[in-house]
Amino acid sequence: MAGRLLALSARSIKARPVPLGAAGAHSNPALDATRAMIGNREIVGYGMNGQPHYYDRSDIPLPAIRWKEATADIKCLREKEKGDWRQLSMEEKKALYRASFKLTYSEFKAPTGEWKQIVGASLMLVSVALWFYMAVRVVTRVPLPDSFSEEKQQAQLRRILDLHVNPITGLSSQWDYEKDDWKK
Amino acid sequence: MMTWKTLMSPDSASPLMEQLTFLHDHALMILLMITVLVGYLMASLFVNKFNYRYLLEGQTIEMIWTILPAVILIFIALPSLRLLYLLDEVNNPLVTVKTIGHQWYWSYEYTDFANIEFDSYMIPSNEMEDYHFRLLDVDNRIAVPYNSQIRMIVTAADVLHSWTIPTLGVKIDATPGRLNQISFLLNRTGIFFGQCSEICGANHSFMPIVMESISPECFISWIYNMSEI
Repeated sequence: MAGRLLALSARSIKARPVPLGAAGAHSNPALDATRAMIGNREIVGYGMNGQPHYYDRSDIPLPAIRWKEATADIKCLREKEKGDWRQLSMEEKKALYRASFKLTYSEFKAPTGEWKQIVGASLMLVSVALWFYMAVRVVTRVPLPDSFSEEKQQAQLRRILDLHVNPITGLSSQWDYEKDDWKK
Repeated sequence: MMTWKTLMSPDSASPLMEQLTFLHDHALMILLMITVLVGYLMASLFVNKFNYRYLLEGQTIEMIWTILPAVILIFIALPSLRLLYLLDEVNNPLVTVKTIGHQWYWSYEYTDFANIEFDSYMIPSNEMEDYHFRLLDVDNRIAVPYNSQIRMIVTAADVLHSWTIPTLGVKIDATPGRLNQISFLLNRTGIFFGQCSEICGANHSFMPIVMESISPECFISWIYNMSEI
């Protein structure tokens, strides 16, 4: 996508924006380049940046060019559009819309579900990293020192309590010295 | 010493360490509030529907979020500076203990009354009893009377070491060729542990410090016994 943006911007730097649609200006190379890019589609406004590109965006609503090239049917409907819109049937309105625009608002704002691909791929990469970590931990495992055995830990805990270590808010504050048991 | 259930600092055994703990709790509370605020703002960015493409400036809010952090910093700075000067207060110690750091043990001297000197080596893992704390227990502990101001003079014989006991809030570098002095008071009895805090070679992790805080009567009899050795 970034590559495409780069190519597009390079094209617009090369082709300087000139007022197009000027009658008999076919000796203009910029106009030729534009027509080669967009075909016979009508240029209808400024669009996003003055360039004759089509886009579907909700924050800059009206693109610079129509979506489809004008056929005879559409030209007819355009003439009818200049009159009372209540005379247009639903199909005619839809045809006019689809001639000027590719997608409706609800179509281009619809959720794509792309987030599932991204989250899935990220989680897979995270799990690969975790597998690497586990492999390293398994391969480099060393036995614990003797002092970690259950009896020795009990003896050390007994000594910690007898010494009243951390008696204010720490471990010994949870020991009931009268009952010789943990506080309930 | 750190035990199970100790998340942050151990309980203090000295008034200055109490004050350090209070400052820590105060600053941490402020940090927590800021973190929750920023976390909420970031979370709301994901779910809110605000957008405005032509935003250029907002002078009032810029003023607020410049002045407010300065105010918060003042709330942190004032207690901090108070404690900083409190830690440097001059007092009249009762007992002076000298300690010299070596590679890789501490030696202590009590020269107030009698000429007492001894070395304090870590108990190796293969000579430990069941109840010994691995890498923390030593053969000879320093004894000091509680509720008395103690002066500690620290130096080193070879390379840099650092003498520390976290429950007292004391850490002081042992520099060869220099005498560093620190003063503290213990307000409860017990045994307090610390470990050398300046890299000093292969056994830097294996030269702990153990201080036993005892009643003045016991201290006097301890001095008497040690001076006869």
